[in-house]
Amino acid sequence: MTHLLEVEDLKTYFKTDDGIVKAVDGVSFTLDEGKTLGIVGESGSGKSVTCLTIMGLNPKRSATSEGRALYRGEDLLHASPSRLREIRGNDIAMIFQDPMTSLNPVHKIGAQIVEGILLHKDVSRKEAKSRALEALKEVGIPRAERRIDDYPHQFSGGMRQRVMIAMALVNEPSILIADEPTTALDVTTQAQILDLMHKLQRDYGTAIVMITHDLGVVAEIADEVVVMYAARVAEKAPVNELFEHPLHPYTWGLLGSLPRLESDIDRLVQIPGTPPSLLSPPRGCRFNPRCPYVFDRCKKELPELVASPAFPEHLQACYLDDATKQREADRTLAAFAGEAT
Amino acid sequence: MADELLKIENLTKHFPVTRGIVFQKQVAAVKAVDDVSFTLNRGETLGVVGESGCGKSTMARCIMRLLDPTSGSITFEGRDISKLSRADMRPIRREMMMIFQDPYASLNPRKRVGFIVGEALVVHKAGTDAEIKRRVQELLEVVGLNPEHYNRFPHEFSGGQRQRIGIARALAVNPKLIVCDEPVSALDVSVQAQILNLLKDLQGEFGLTYIFIAHDLNVVRYISDRVMVMYLGKVAEIARGADLYVAPRHPYTGALLSAVPIPDPRLGRARKPIVLEGDVPNPINPPDGCRFHPRCPRFQEGVCELTIPQPVDVGTEHTAACFFPLERWPMSFEEMQQVSEPTPAS
Repeated sequence: MTHLLEVEDLKTYFKTDDGIVKAVDGVSFTLDEGKTLGIVGESGSGKSVTCLTIMGLNPKRSATSEGRALYRGEDLLHASPSRLREIRGNDIAMIFQDPMTSLNPVHKIGAQIVEGILLHKDVSRKEAKSRALEALKEVGIPRAERRIDDYPHQFSGGMRQRVMIAMALVNEPSILIADEPTTALDVTTQAQILDLMHKLQRDYGTAIVMITHDLGVVAEIADEVVVMYAARVAEKAPVNELFEHPLHPYTWGLLGSLPRLESDIDRLVQIPGTPPSLLSPPRGCRFNPRCPYVFDRCKKELPELVASPAFPEHLQACYLDDATKQREADRTLAAFAGEAT
Repeated sequence: MADELLKIENLTKHFPVTRGIVFQKQVAAVKAVDDVSFTLNRGETLGVVGESGCGKSTMARCIMRLLDPTSGSITFEGRDISKLSRADMRPIRREMMMIFQDPYASLNPRKRVGFIVGEALVVHKAGTDAEIKRRVQELLEVVGLNPEHYNRFPHEFSGGQRQRIGIARALAVNPKLIVCDEPVSALDVSVQAQILNLLKDLQGEFGLTYIFIAHDLNVVRYISDRVMVMYLGKVAEIARGADLYVAPRHPYTGALLSAVPIPDPRLGRARKPIVLEGDVPNPINPPDGCRFHPRCPRFQEGVCELTIPQPVDVGTEHTAACFFPLERWPMSFEEMQQVSEPTPAS
């Protein structure tokens, strides 16, 4: 079976004055039609660069990429710039964290949406404008007929993000890459935007790649989750499986360090130290300097993703034995589940 | 009766909106903080939550006297400090310190860590140079930094470490009250947990009192004894943490709680979040009556848009400013719309 998007052993290196930064170092995942993939990780874990690489948006001078990123079987890493321009915005669209800096402040939002339509579709300007208006109504902009001639600064943060989504979806792409789309928003606005993305996915069958650092958002929206740490995939699993049987010490740390709304926790589990520099990542497992379960092998060999014996779709990169993992996973979950109110 | 450290009564801060260059005349006012009252006991943590623009930070700045309140009183250790002169404020300033959100912008990039942390000690003439240096190194150790970092510059540290420097600076003069304005919002979760634990430890060790401002309800629940929810410059609800999260009474609190994503896919998808329509209104021209009424699922015509609701007791140490407080929790949007008899306005 071919996947809609198939990323295989993707590597992106940046040349900098200080040396080579391995921002993405062997990332693989697949995405199927109509599904949502969540990519979680802390800042600098390579989640955004992975998606920019897929879209061909890395600076050409400093970035080199290896591996494969197949969209419907076509390798995007080796596609020509003109082919990429055809795909971007038409087949794969992207929305960004900061809706203010990703909209052009000196053009009306209607004109910006129309531009995207005219670039990809053979329609008249008038037709394009009516499509733009449809899209704005679809994402829930009140009084869209009048707002279409407003400038970005006349919108609030949540409304701007809606405009971004309208712009991304106007050509009915098959993949929407959302890079922290709700991070800059308040919780009630975040709920509105997640709700909207859910609804649009249901209506149009768009597949979504959701990049976020918020495990809560992932739990709400994703079908499958990739946990990234220091440019590599630590763990990958369907969403329920990941939250019920996390198998990587980093995932335990992440889950344990989350303050919870639904339970009283006396003390958060903290992961000691800080993420490593990608200029000179630690030898062996990237997580070994911060891992409480570290042993000799972790410091020598880089663990590959392997399937869990109990659940073949659950992949993880850790050398701990299965019994220990099971025990520690249960302990992590019990720490907050037990005190749930 | 618990020992009261701070008492805020009817605190109001309006920023004038002026027109004209030579003859400026006030045409309107941004009602950033409007008639806020609460008390804070020694050794307690009060969490303040609300969406951006609800006046949390302005309120903190008024309490610190970084802004002059328009009206109302701020009683700190039994003394009203809201109208003290700069000179009279100075000895009080060492009793209250602040930790800021952005660990990059809040440290002077051209000064060494030792100077940044020790500056307050120098200002308050807390000892000789050698004593101050010893004290700073001690503080760096307390917040989990290496005392040898004394001579480094802020740019040599990561975000989490910078926030530790900010905490050390706040601790330097042994304050009684520390106002933390979104201290962990800019940090990654693993680092956020480190800082939250550190703040908790320090509170136990030094008997600190915190006002902890954040927009993340999870974080506030973890750190606070009591939580205050603000909406458009007004207090919507104050309660002990556990009560607020288990049994919110103000519809806005309910909506906020239901909007927080739960890191548990089965739990999270089973519930139906209350999605509020629209955005927070403009504080220049806030809605009449209850400021939440245009977005409120429990809006009742003839009451909510006419009268400003005053905080009423709805439980032990639990007040909510609503005419139709929620009877139970959780509730769906539709259930919220079923309103029973109004409580008598007090």
